[in-house]
Amino acid sequence: MAAFDDDHPPRADLINDCVHCGFCLPTCPTYALWGEEMDSPRGRIHLMSQGLGGEPLSDSMVTHFDRCLGCLACVTACPSGVRYDTLIADTRQQVERRHPRPLRDRALRAAIFALFPYPRRLRLLRGPLRAYQASGLRRLVGRTGLARHAPTLAMMESLAPTLSRPVRLPERIPPRGPRRAVVGMLTGCVQSAFFPDVNAATARVLAAEGCEVLIPRTQGCCGALSVHAGRRSEARAFARALIDAFSGGDLGHRDLDHRDLDYLVVNAAGCGSSLKEYGELLADDPAYAERAAALSARVRDLSELLVELGPVAPRHPLPVTVAYHDACHLAHGQGVRAQPRALLRAIPDLELREIADPELCCGSAGVWNLLNPEPARQLGERKARDVLATGARLLVTANPGCLMQIAAAVRRLGSATGDSTTGRCSAAGDSSATGGVAIGLAHTAQVLDASIRGLPVDALG
Amino acid sequence: MTATSMTATSTTAIGTLAARLRTVLGTDRVISDRQELRTYECDGLAQYRVVPALVVFPHTAAECAAVVKACAAAGVPFVARGSGTGLSGGALPHADGVLIVTAQMRRILELAPADERAVVEPGVINLQVTRAATPAGYYYAPDPSSQQICSIGGNVAENSGGAHCLKYGFTTNHVTGVEIVTPDGDLVRLGGRAPDAPGYDLLGAFVGSEGTLGIATEVTVRLVRLPETVRTLLAAFDTTDAAGAATSAIIGAGVVPAAIEMMDALAIEAAEAAVHCDYPAGAGAVLIVELDGPAADVEAQFVAVERLCRDNGAFEIRIAADDAERALFWKGRKSAFAAVGRISPDYIVQDGVIPRTALPDVLRRIGEIAAEHGVRIANVFHAGDGNLHPLVLFDDAADGQAARAEAASGAILDLCIEYGGSITGEHGVGVDKAKHMPRMFTADDLDTMQLVRCAFDPRGLSNPGKVFPTPRLCGEVPGRHKGAHPLQEAGVAEVF
Amino acid sequence: MPFEGVVMPFEGVVPATDDDAIAGVPARWVAAPASTDEAAAILRGAAAHDLTVVVRGAGTKQDWAAPPRRLDLILDTRRLAGVVEHAAGDLITVVRAGTPLSDLADALAPAGQQLALDAPLPGATVGGTVAVNTSGPRRMRYGTARDLLIGATVIRGDGVVARAGGKVVKNVAGYDLGKLLTGSYGTLGLITECVFRLHPLPAATAYVSRRATGVDDAGRMAAAVLGSQVVPSALEVDAAPDGGIVVTVGLEGVPEGVAARVTTARQLLGGDPTVSGTAPDGWSAYPWGPGDVGIKLTGALSRVPALLAAGVAARQRHGVPLAVRGSAGTGVLYAGLPGSCAPETVAGALDDLRAAATRAGGHAVVVCAPPAVRDRVDLWGPVDGLHLMRRVKEQFDPAGRFAPGRFVGGI
Ligand SMILES: Cc1cc2nc3c(=O)[nH]c(=O)nc-3n(C[C@H](O)[C@H](O)[C@H](O)COP(=O)(O)OP(=O)(O)OC[C@H]3O[C@@H](n4cnc5c(N)ncnc54)[C@H](O)[C@@H]3O)c2cc1C
Ligand SMILES: Cc1cc2nc3c(=O)[nH]c(=O)nc-3n(C[C@H](O)[C@H](O)[C@H](O)COP(=O)(O)OP(=O)(O)OC[C@H]3O[C@@H](n4cnc5c(N)ncnc54)[C@H](O)[C@@H]3O)c2cc1C
Ligand code: SF4
Ligand code: SF4
Repeated sequence: MAAFDDDHPPRADLINDCVHCGFCLPTCPTYALWGEEMDSPRGRIHLMSQGLGGEPLSDSMVTHFDRCLGCLACVTACPSGVRYDTLIADTRQQVERRHPRPLRDRALRAAIFALFPYPRRLRLLRGPLRAYQASGLRRLVGRTGLARHAPTLAMMESLAPTLSRPVRLPERIPPRGPRRAVVGMLTGCVQSAFFPDVNAATARVLAAEGCEVLIPRTQGCCGALSVHAGRRSEARAFARALIDAFSGGDLGHRDLDHRDLDYLVVNAAGCGSSLKEYGELLADDPAYAERAAALSARVRDLSELLVELGPVAPRHPLPVTVAYHDACHLAHGQGVRAQPRALLRAIPDLELREIADPELCCGSAGVWNLLNPEPARQLGERKARDVLATGARLLVTANPGCLMQIAAAVRRLGSATGDSTTGRCSAAGDSSATGGVAIGLAHTAQVLDASIRGLPVDALG
Repeated sequence: MTATSMTATSTTAIGTLAARLRTVLGTDRVISDRQELRTYECDGLAQYRVVPALVVFPHTAAECAAVVKACAAAGVPFVARGSGTGLSGGALPHADGVLIVTAQMRRILELAPADERAVVEPGVINLQVTRAATPAGYYYAPDPSSQQICSIGGNVAENSGGAHCLKYGFTTNHVTGVEIVTPDGDLVRLGGRAPDAPGYDLLGAFVGSEGTLGIATEVTVRLVRLPETVRTLLAAFDTTDAAGAATSAIIGAGVVPAAIEMMDALAIEAAEAAVHCDYPAGAGAVLIVELDGPAADVEAQFVAVERLCRDNGAFEIRIAADDAERALFWKGRKSAFAAVGRISPDYIVQDGVIPRTALPDVLRRIGEIAAEHGVRIANVFHAGDGNLHPLVLFDDAADGQAARAEAASGAILDLCIEYGGSITGEHGVGVDKAKHMPRMFTADDLDTMQLVRCAFDPRGLSNPGKVFPTPRLCGEVPGRHKGAHPLQEAGVAEVF
Repeated sequence: MPFEGVVMPFEGVVPATDDDAIAGVPARWVAAPASTDEAAAILRGAAAHDLTVVVRGAGTKQDWAAPPRRLDLILDTRRLAGVVEHAAGDLITVVRAGTPLSDLADALAPAGQQLALDAPLPGATVGGTVAVNTSGPRRMRYGTARDLLIGATVIRGDGVVARAGGKVVKNVAGYDLGKLLTGSYGTLGLITECVFRLHPLPAATAYVSRRATGVDDAGRMAAAVLGSQVVPSALEVDAAPDGGIVVTVGLEGVPEGVAARVTTARQLLGGDPTVSGTAPDGWSAYPWGPGDVGIKLTGALSRVPALLAAGVAARQRHGVPLAVRGSAGTGVLYAGLPGSCAPETVAGALDDLRAAATRAGGHAVVVCAPPAVRDRVDLWGPVDGLHLMRRVKEQFDPAGRFAPGRFVGGI
């Protein structure tokens, strides 16, 4: 049986754009890990073309597709403009529909997708996790070698950040000073459950820069995780619901229509890139196509919007060295690299340092780290080492997944050097230590927030 | 071109060999799954495809030697592969052979700036050597456009060049030692950290031998002090003739720039489409001229270069103000090959060399060739040393275009030979140009080269079928042997 | 007819005289072909009569290194002379092997160009220089014959004429036979024509020299220069038997640049260095004379001071007036000892130097010595890849016709 059916197979014309030059290889995290062609973009494209040529969707072929993090570094690197993003998305949904997975694998995927896209369920998980952390069980798990037996469980455990108090944001936040724009704000699943501080900071920064911020409570998952995993119909359902959330209901004192929004602001890179693709995702849905495209056109990453608007709120000095990590779905997915750096550089006394191999993914990649714990651990540690090598005091990035992933890796490096107790992680105010080297972690929004509010550096860790 | 399937006997031989190799490398590092093998069926020149019988990933020189020994014992051919970016099909596998991939041998073993040396494994990426050496104030000079991904082992095999080779020389001038696995499976050191090892310069013969004399398992390279000053200008001309004249004038004035690169209008169009390099509008040709070295020398010569460009008709000259602008100048040039994919569905990258002074004539003749064959040809080249990279554009879907492009591409090589040049300046002969070798060399020339092959690899197991159109029968004194050699009988080889 | 009554084996060959003896081995015949074709005919004749052949260029240094095991015919290249082509715009020249380097330099100079090879011994031919890969101080900037040779015509022992490389600097078509021939000591074939890449003659040249207080001081100066941005064309050390050590930086380029770099070089060397437009005494010359023992020492750059120190130590330990001179910029030094030293003493000093060179990642090779010393010592020391070299020799010269026994491992 041929690998693909007629429902959106990877397109031959896009495959043929690949001239086999290999320029994408060094930026691919799986090639960096294993040095094997079939786990490189060029190799995966080759496998797709084999599939079109009649080769079956074998276990090994699926494995190589599954191992792709979807980080899209290869899209940035490719001089021939190969649309690997489209190719892998088409391939993934074929795999999900057509490839029977082993039971264990299916169960794991089902569990993950029953949990992550649902902020409420994630929030429920907070209780047990907090108890678990407080009880010192975490250290016990580490010592008993649970990691060896249940890598995914161990990975989930290691990723879970130290939790801070939940924050409930109002549905409408008025601008400070004259109104410059009306913006909707996406709170995200993981972001709102685990990093409520980031959302609070985002809202404050927006308001300080003259935005009226609208945060509909009815919003759910944007579908990013599903779309990246090839669960296309699930993703479409999420997308429709989100479009509805931003175009209806009574928000505070006004009715919301998506046309009222100048922008829809996103502070999580993965969500941003998938929202920007709603137009394509729902192109063949007559009821939603037009609204999806219109909404996509208004989506901005927080840093993108702030640079577009230009600053009005004065920045206070923040004397700290910062290493900025490019989240894949921001840098490769949305091409947003310069804006966050410019915003950070504009903060007085803040020194920005570059991390080696900035294009390389940290290994978080949505839920990839849960499905591929061991390689994710290696990528995370590689990134953590490069981050620590900058000597910066604070690591800043714009994606909750990256923050959790790198924090966990920094913590592991720390325990590897005999210091396992000081590692703790929450979005802000965290400081993970590695044998004397400590680094704090923060979202771009939090750094800007601290500078605008004139908070001390300590507030960031 | 697709491989013929394996014969029954070779299948069992391969099966036995695979079992043997798995005991050496472990199961993970010996690949025999058909789909996985197929991802290795071609290198950067995708029109040639052969599926290897096995792919293996050694991690050490000793493992590499063990693999080759096992191949030699089984009489199975083997082919080395680094990053698979070669543009002459050098890493094209052998259908009944083992592909030995060095991509996992990627440690920088030692950086010794005080000795101006680095010792690396063959799978180390070219650019990584420079990145590692930069903090100490050094870099690795040979800079192929593929430097972010091509391996040092591949560079050694191809004697790769780059834009800055005009001043600094090629890979062969920057490799002072290698450890190789001979086709018998022995580890031998050639050269080292010091120059002029006694005896024949086997290192010099090995560099550029395209994997036919064995596999490099460790390479000692020169590190060069980062220059004090780098100055780069981009000059736009109406015609390639004018740009060519400027090039000659610069060289004639006794200036040795680090690089002089030229792109014609079509190549500029492609680069603009791919990387938005924003070259001067309306240019029929641009030159990128880079000078590097001590500040006072560079400043004095830079003034001369600028004047010579103007004297020869440059209508716009931009001088890179900082590293970012320099990078932008280079970005257009360095991505030009792959960028052509944006303006044409298919293309052939040609690589030929002519004496620099013949540039204007040859470019005119290339224009004629394009017209004759009804194809478009973009020109990107290392003008300083006359190394042309004509890109022949075509559409495979259009009837007969591929054949016409192929013919045009071949005609360009003939042109290079006619002008006393070479059929390849840096991409190598590989499988693609083996057929052109007899046009550049006599049978005696080729026979003499193959004496080296016979010394290293009398059985012809190391990357067979590359470089030479017809393998020589080793150890046979012409006219003395009785009866035909089996290869000869099989029609595979001729006797010179 | 000068050789009346003598039966020549074949045309083009005349009887040898006593003066034609090579390293004490008398020759039977001499031939001096004037073209590649004539030379090929001679070599075919030699093959037909199973004669061994030694190629002779200027012929002045033929008594160096190991004597040939057997010597029938001397093939003199002096008539194979002349510049065939000088393409100034392309910075290349085609030149016949018997051309003296000095003649070539004269031919190129009017165009402001040079073959950037130093000639440590005056009179050397192009072919001899390539065959032995000799080099001098400026190899630091330009490399050696190995790096400058881009094409060659060679005649094999069976009389087959083959060409390698070409006339363009950039060329990767086929094996680089030029490199294999370079430094092959005439044991693989007769080189009849060479193609070289050329360089512009520098507009300005300067030498900055300073006497060092000792080996450590010399090492410090060398390291300072290497780590700097003065981009020297040469960095030489000269340790005389009297204990004095001089470090010289050779600078070339445009006048403005050289002036600026002279200033920097002076600061780097410290003290009060001398600056001159002409090379100091002994520049580009070996630290030995005719009949002496000459040893080539190589090592990693950072080990040059260690090589110097080993020279000084050997001088004291063996009580010999040993001189060391060479390139601290490339790690190639030469040591000279009087030919009058007892073979035992030379052997002792050589052992010490070889041990130091080995530690430095290099080699100690005796390039010339009186017969008694030659018989006593191992001229080459350890040679990596010797079995491959033997196989190369067997392929190129299966009959062992070219200079048997002169090269490494008795090749
Ligand atoms: C877009 C693009 C631009 C390029 N630009 C340049 C350029 O500017 N200059 C240039 O010179 N080349 C250029 N190339 C060609 C190519 O990158 C070089 O030839 C490079 O050296 C190949 O390296 P690789 O690691 O990809 O080798 P591969 O393609 O894997 O192999 C090349 C050859 O080397 C042999 N080989 C590989 N490793 C070893 C080893 N360890 N020991 C012995 N043999 C070995 C293989 O058998 C094969 O014959 C370009 C290629 C591309 C795709
Ligand atoms: C065996 C030997 C070792 C030497 N080692 C060194 C050294 O390590 N460093 C150094 O600086 N100087 C060395 N010299 C000195 C060197 O030979 C001279 O500096 C110069 O290069 C020789 O030029 P010539 O024309 O006098 O050649 P000759 O002294 O006539 O010949 C030198 C060698 O080159 C060969 N030869 C000459 N012409 C050709 C040709 N056309 N084709 C093939 N072979 C040819 C000869 O057979 C001989 O082996 C050595 C000389 C000899 C003979
Ligand atoms: S998306 Fe990332 S992981 Fe996937 S092939 Fe591209 S670079 Fe590799
Ligand atoms: S960089 Fe682009 S064209 Fe090159 S191999 Fe990768 S996907 Fe193909």
